[in-house]
Amino acid sequence: MDNAKIARPNKVKDIAFRIAKATLKATFVYLLYFFAVPLLTPLFGLIPGIMETIQVFVTVYIMLMILGDLTERTIFHCFFNAARALFIVAYMVFSVGDGLISVPVDNFTLTVNLSILYTITALLGLLGLAKAIMEAVRFMSERAEGGLKP
Amino acid sequence: MNVPIRMLGIATSIFWIILIGFFASAAYSIKDLNFDFGEPQFTTTPINDLMFSIPVYIDNQGYYSLKALNLTTVFSDAEGAELSSSSTFVPVIPHGQNTTIVHNVTLSINDITEKGQQYLFNDSSLNCMVVAGLNFAELLPTQLSMNVTYPWGAPFYGFSLGQPTFTSADLSHVGVSVPLSFENHAAFDLAGNITVEFFDDDAGSVLTESQIELNVPKQTRYAETLELVIPLNAVSLSTKQSGHFNVYFSTSMFEYGPLVIPYG
Repeated sequence: MDNAKIARPNKVKDIAFRIAKATLKATFVYLLYFFAVPLLTPLFGLIPGIMETIQVFVTVYIMLMILGDLTERTIFHCFFNAARALFIVAYMVFSVGDGLISVPVDNFTLTVNLSILYTITALLGLLGLAKAIMEAVRFMSERAEGGLKP
Repeated sequence: MNVPIRMLGIATSIFWIILIGFFASAAYSIKDLNFDFGEPQFTTTPINDLMFSIPVYIDNQGYYSLKALNLTTVFSDAEGAELSSSSTFVPVIPHGQNTTIVHNVTLSINDITEKGQQYLFNDSSLNCMVVAGLNFAELLPTQLSMNVTYPWGAPFYGFSLGQPTFTSADLSHVGVSVPLSFENHAAFDLAGNITVEFFDDDAGSVLTESQIELNVPKQTRYAETLELVIPLNAVSLSTKQSGHFNVYFSTSMFEYGPLVIPYG
């Protein structure tokens, strides 16, 4: 009975901490987006539809990040982190394709080779995936050591 | 295992912030980058080719240098056959600097006239493909390409020889006057001569020829009467009411001929 009483405030405290952490991280990412978007204004005229694409990316990224933070210390945390990392890689593959972006501007064609940027982003996504896998391994090993089911 | 995971997380976050910062600043730099093309200048080279000099103004007020700027122009005729190509390479344009590049393209008029006589006698156009490749912000190779049509002014636009008029020169010769006219629509002055052969179709031989000196500034009309003298024993005024002229053009920039112009 006493243990249950002690455990309940801890659980509430834990959930409140997770919510606070998720909110802070989401706010930070949103602020980063908020301040970076005005800098990208010259691109909006050149590449139509890029704003919508960036919005979709940021929305999905923040949602997966919030879900990952809310499910911390569960196996779902690792799943959401892995999903977020895979989403970055998949997003880059589908949006950039072969790494070349060609857009008609006035009477000329602008071709930008994003291969290097694309490779760096994909590598960062893979780094995130590696981190998610390591977290899953740690989680499973901690559970196995404690004799608990995942 | 906690420490490596945490370090990995911190490192990934730092790399993400650097990448986003770089991408945002590179995109923002585009608005401070200006390209402009000046009016092309036409000059002749020592080997009498036509040289286009196109000034390109680059104002790089962005945060990053532009590297390995390679400007290439390819001139082609209406059928797509290449007439001339030229490249200008600039290793680096530092940020915060204005740079003017003069891109020179040499066109051999002889090569152009070999492609077709319409470039000598009819105004036409040349297709020009301009490709500018550069490395923007070290990581973003960028290419600008466009197709431009340059008007081509014919140096002998509307060239014509009028109907010959025969006059009696003396007892043994006949004088032939042939009006000659054209307009120099080209971007260069014409200096040289035109040789006209008066051809006897029946005998298949040249009866006489005459040469006229030319010095025609660009965008001006030229009209002159060509005087030829034909021996009376070689031609009869009554029968020689038709035939043809062979016209040869010789200028400092090109040679062309014969242009066959029938009369009568």
